[in-house]
Amino acid sequence: MPEAEAIRQAQRGDAAAFERLYRLHNRRVYSLCLRMVGNTAEAEDLTQEAFLQLFRKISTFRGESAFSTWLHRLSVNVVLMRLRKKSAAETSLEEVTEPDEESGGPRRDFGAPDLRLSGSIDRLNLQRAVEQLPPGYKSIFVLHDVQGYEHNEIAQIMGCSIGNSKSQLHKARMRLRELLHEVLRQRAREERKAAGGLSGED
Amino acid sequence: MATIDCKEFLVYLEPWMEGQHHPFAEAHLGECAQCRAMVEDLNQIQVSAQAWGAEEAEPPARLWTSLRAQLVEEGLIREEEVVAETRRSWFHGWFSGRPRLALAGVYLAALIAVAFALSGPVNERINRQRWLAGMEDSTTPVRAHLAKLEQNTTLSPLLDSNPTVTASLHDGLAIVDNHIALCEKSVSEEPDNEMARDFLFDAYQQKAELLAQLSDRGGYGR
Repeated sequence: MPEAEAIRQAQRGDAAAFERLYRLHNRRVYSLCLRMVGNTAEAEDLTQEAFLQLFRKISTFRGESAFSTWLHRLSVNVVLMRLRKKSAAETSLEEVTEPDEESGGPRRDFGAPDLRLSGSIDRLNLQRAVEQLPPGYKSIFVLHDVQGYEHNEIAQIMGCSIGNSKSQLHKARMRLRELLHEVLRQRAREERKAAGGLSGED
Repeated sequence: MATIDCKEFLVYLEPWMEGQHHPFAEAHLGECAQCRAMVEDLNQIQVSAQAWGAEEAEPPARLWTSLRAQLVEEGLIREEEVVAETRRSWFHGWFSGRPRLALAGVYLAALIAVAFALSGPVNERINRQRWLAGMEDSTTPVRAHLAKLEQNTTLSPLLDSNPTVTASLHDGLAIVDNHIALCEKSVSEEPDNEMARDFLFDAYQQKAELLAQLSDRGGYGR
């Protein structure tokens, strides 16, 4: 059953059509949730909530935007609501604040040449760093760089301008770079400590 | 060409990452190792993120079950449609349920019967009477298993939290029984009709699944 037909049937309460729509989009929605919250149980919960909201509202879908865009906007909102509940201080895309933002651009952390990330970003480090991003940055980074959405799609999903999406993405990447550098610095400290301990034992 | 410093380069960095390479920024990168490192880092983050995005996670099967139950509860889909859907998507959920040892015999017998049925078209010279006899032999154990299971299920005390769903399953069972009777009649009249045979074995499996659901609800086998 093609998606358009499934949408029409689901609007009439057809169970098979609901399942068809779920099967068409569940992986993408679940992956989005999982990347945003980094926890399978919570990702399952959020995926269910997103599809529930979708099916509750499906009769109002008129096809002005792509169905997948509509679903992902809804999913992102569900995830953001959850993240906001967990982190009362960070309440919206516009209210994401970083210490250096008040003075203009991103933090001026150029990084020493001996601390390049090249080759050192493993999946776990990246995932942990993404988890530490403020919700607004995290959403745009995951949608653009991980899920592969274009800025115009993200602007629709997030309800912001394309320029805002670009700007937030850049800040998210810069913040991630800092976080990943911190991981490298921490690792270097631990290695030095271990080496010191070994030499002390000699 | 005028040169820019690291602070000024930051203004050009965001467009640079979007593919807009301003000559001032290019000149600065040519002479500044730190800013070059920063651009390389940002590129590396994008590459790693893309690799991460290439792997889509599969949600567990229980998610749809749970979601469907919620949809039924909210009245967004009707229960009889869910039962019908269960029948339609038989093979999808066939191996995903928890092990039910009580049904193992039925499944095995059904598989043997299916194997027999599929062997029909291979040799079209099979004698019609012999085929019918073989069909009868292969389906008899399935029917016997189903009848036994049905008896046990019916006799089980129903510790049921949702009698509506149980009633719906019973309705489904009655429909499947009618379907089996029709299929058996069709197969006996047209033993060469592959579709009728497929429907019959599918119906047997549907009945086994419905009985399994009923016995799960009623505590069969405990």
